[in-house]
Order: sequence, then structure tokens, then C-alpha cells
Amino acid sequence: MSRKRLHLVPETLGLKRRREPGHAEGDPLRGEAVHVPVTRPLRPGSARAAVAELVRLFPRGLFEDALPPIALRSQVYSLVPDRTAADRQLKELQEQGEIRVVQLGFDLDAHGIILTEDYKTRVLKTCSGRSYAGAVQKFLASVLPACRDLSFQQDQMTQTFGFTDTEITQLVNAGIFTVRDAGSWWLAVPGAGRFIKYFVKGRQAVLGMIRKAKYRELLLSELLGRRVPASVKLGLAYHVHDLIGAQLVDCVSTTSGTLLRLPET
Amino acid sequence: MLGFLLARQAGLEDPLRLRRVESTRRNHPDVHKYSVETVQWYPHDTGMFTSSSFDKTLKVWDTNTLQTADVFNFEETVYSHHMSPVATKHSLVAVGTRGPKVQLCDLKSGSCCHILQGHRQEILAVSWSPRYEHTLATASADSRVKLWDVRRASGCLITLDQHNGKNSQAVESANTAHNGKVNGLCFTSDGLHLLTVGTDNRMRLWNSSSGENTLVNYGKVYNDSRKGLKFAVSCGCSSEFVFVPYGSTIAVYTIYSGEQITMLKGHYKSVDCCVFQSNFQELYSGSRDCNILAWVPSLYEPVPDDDETISKSQLNRAFEDAWSSSDEEG
Repeated sequence: MSRKRLHLVPETLGLKRRREPGHAEGDPLRGEAVHVPVTRPLRPGSARAAVAELVRLFPRGLFEDALPPIALRSQVYSLVPDRTAADRQLKELQEQGEIRVVQLGFDLDAHGIILTEDYKTRVLKTCSGRSYAGAVQKFLASVLPACRDLSFQQDQMTQTFGFTDTEITQLVNAGIFTVRDAGSWWLAVPGAGRFIKYFVKGRQAVLGMIRKAKYRELLLSELLGRRVPASVKLGLAYHVHDLIGAQLVDCVSTTSGTLLRLPET
Repeated sequence: MLGFLLARQAGLEDPLRLRRVESTRRNHPDVHKYSVETVQWYPHDTGMFTSSSFDKTLKVWDTNTLQTADVFNFEETVYSHHMSPVATKHSLVAVGTRGPKVQLCDLKSGSCCHILQGHRQEILAVSWSPRYEHTLATASADSRVKLWDVRRASGCLITLDQHNGKNSQAVESANTAHNGKVNGLCFTSDGLHLLTVGTDNRMRLWNSSSGENTLVNYGKVYNDSRKGLKFAVSCGCSSEFVFVPYGSTIAVYTIYSGEQITMLKGHYKSVDCCVFQSNFQELYSGSRDCNILAWVPSLYEPVPDDDETISKSQLNRAFEDAWSSSDEEG
């Protein structure tokens, strides 16, 4: 009886909420997947460090290691405060060949960032033993190091790199190429459909959590402390970085921490 | 649209209240039938101005008599027109309409002499370069921005590509400047860079000679206008600013660093256009709430000295005590 009473009073008054034990201190966006020591600097200064950090947040086990870890450009904006510098540094990393930028299908603005090494190993693994393996290997060996862009053109592929039409069709079947226009293709990640589905659903779910809150705003620490809804499979921190960077929520700094508020427009 | 006010205001005694000096009344025989989209003074003097409207005409007006000197008729509604501010060898007006062809009308001969083909949907904005009198930039609803040399017969010079692909000029059909309609165009005052805004809520800065995206990121520049958006660039400031209508406010950014300086709040409804007057360093903005606001830069207050007498006299009289500290009265 007395146990029941102790339960009821805080529930009705809403004073105390059970906090999960072992919550990491410091910047609440870190430490969800990995316990991060507090001595780390809170904001990485460069895009490379940001990409390394975001790649760690990606849940590899969810896709049984079939997908390379994908970070999004909007997440990099949330970690590197100066957007112009972030864009230029990402462009440099692209030119040096360390990362590949990939067009994710659901939004023309959303670019996925993948480390080139990860991309190559995963694609080879997924395509090994299939009929298109030969074309894929030829593509990874010759075209990928030479051309650092997001998209590829017909005459570039046939004349400069010597691909036939059937080989290009095989690349489309393998999932490496997605059609952009007549004679022009985007680079893509094979098997990324599941990731995009989880990502879009998760983004809508996290936005819904903020939308349902009173005054359509939530403290960041409170959002991360809430129970994760079932449709968020990639992790709350992953989605929150993306929402902040894509400016789908306004970040207001208050005395109690960062507040996420939905914009009026 | 606000080009009308710039030269008028230069002659007024009280710059804070703009007076409407003249206007064409509704019963004027030559008045436009539908909304007037763009107005521009003749670049060399104020004896003439041009106006284009949704009633498919471009009218050339004589300022002193307020009569139309010439009318150009088109088959589609006119979204935007522009006359080159530096042109000496030609007097062409570039007109962007709902059709995919850009028309060039000659004021000297009174005919539409030239058509530029290349876009696939309606042309929402056109702008001549302030540096080269033959270079024209056009922005269209098919997400493309093209730079033209009007002397060249074979097509556009560059189609801007937001991803800066290496082979982008070889296959131009896939290049897009924005991921939505491109609404507004503005060259910087030296003509070396071009700013474009699009309905994908982005603003981009381009190098106007090479067509390269400089990757300056301004963040989300909210834009839901279905026709052109007229924004302005400062001229003569130490770091140049761009003033963009953002819903019912005006967002101010530094051009080359992409940093947002402030949002100017004052209008009640969505702002349609803004224009910068470089002589007074003032910004005028027009909005759907039927107001035109003039924005003046606020000057810094001088730092007060530590001198006691001066600080005492600066005490506001409302805060002064009426009671004396001594026991006697008065």
C-alpha cells in the first residue's frame, strides 16, 4: 500500500521523472552509442573529425554489416558551426579521395558522406559472386579514383573509361548507379533502400516527438532522455544532429541547456 | 519595383517620410491591367522608365508627361525585365515571360529583335551584368541559371552547376543551379559574383566568369514565392551585405562569408522586394501589407567619458529625486 502511494504522488504532480542510470555527462549528443570521456573537446573543429565522429554513431549491426557507415551533410553542419568552412572542407576531402558524397534519393539536398575505403570494401562484398561483379570491379578500380564527382555522364563513361552500354546497365542493376537524366547517373550505395526507409521514418518520428510537446519545443537533454519510439532505429543522436544541421528545428540556447523548437514557417 | 522611389527620394527635404510624388491613377488610359511586376528607371537619366506587368506588356513611360512612349506586347505574362546599367552600344531590355524563351527588345527600334532559347520552363528573373554590357543572366523555373552573351548566336555561355562537376559543361542538360525553381538573381556591384535564390530555400554565390559555385553556405533562406523574388546587394560597404526577403522579415547576410547578421522585422505580411540606395546607405522594402519601409543603418552611440560633470547631466530627469537629503525644505 505504501509503495503504491509513493508512486502516485510524483506521477500526478509530474515533479519527478525517472532518469535512466548511467547517462553520460558533458554534451548529451555524444555518448549514446559509446561512453565518451568528458575530457574530449565538445565541438570538433574540422569536417574530417566530424565525419569520423558521425561514422561512429552509425548503427552497423542493424544492417548486418552490408552497408558502409553513412553520415549526412546536415549532421556535419551541426558539428561544425561555420557552414561555409564545412562545405569547403568536405569538398577538399572529396578532391583528395577520402570520402565519397552520394545522393540519397529522398531529398535532392540530402547528401550522404561515406569513407571511400568503407564504400569499396562493402560494395565488393555485396557484389561478389554475382553476374555483374566484373563490371563493378572494373568501375571501382578505374572510375572511382579518377572521377570524384557525384554524377557520371554517358560520354565520360564510354569514351574516357571504355565502358559498354551493357556494362553500364549491369552497374545500374548492381545498385551503384541511379538514373539522374538521359545519359547521366548518380553514384549510389547498393542496398541503401532500407537505410533510407529507416532514416525517413526516424526523422518524422523525432520531429513528431517535438511537435507533440507543449509549445512545440523540447530541451535537448529531455529529448535524449525519453524512451525511443520503435520507428527510430538509427538512434536519437543520429537524427538530432541531422535535424539541427538541416535547420528543421531551431536551436535556442537557454540557461537550462539547448532548446529545440519547431520553426513557425 | 522600388526603383521608382530611389531617384525621387534623393530630392526630398525630409528623408524619413517618403512622399508619393506622382502615380498613374486607375483611370489613366495607359495604366496596366494586372499587377505590375517590375519597374526600372532608364539607367542613364530619369527622363524615362519602364514597367512590365502580368497583362503581357512592357510599357515605356515618359516621366515628365507620364504618358507611354512605347508598348511591347508579348504572348505570355511578363515576370521580369531588366535594362543594362552599363550599356553604351545597345539599348536592349531583357524580358522574362511565362514562355521558355528570353526576349530582347530594342528601345531604339521598338521591336523584339532577339530571342534566347535554352530554358525549358518559365523565366522568373533576368539580370544584366554590371561589368560587361553584353552578358545576361537568366533564371528559370526549370532550376537552371544560364549566362548568355547576347552577341553569340549559338546558345548560352554557361549553365550553372551546383555540384561543380568537372564535365558539367559537356552535358549541360543535367546541370541545375538549385533543387527547385530559381526565383531571384542579383549580381554583386562589381559584377564578379552572382547570387541566386531558389525555392529549395537556398541562396548560392557563383563566380560569374567561370560559373563555379563558391560553396558559401547561407543556411536556410526561406522562399515560397511563386513568382520572382527581388533582393538587393549593398554597394559601398566594407563587407558587402545581401538583403533577402525572408517571409515577413528581411534577412541580412555578409556575402562572402555567409554569416547571418540580423533579421529586420517590421512588416506584417510577406516582403516581396527590397532595394538598396547606395548614396544614403538605406534599404527600402515593399510588402503585401501595403507598406514600404525605409531602413536606415543605426549609428553607434559615442562612448561616454568618465568625467563626473558630464555623467551627472546625462541623468534622465525622470529618475531625479524631488526630495532633498537635507532636513530643511527646498
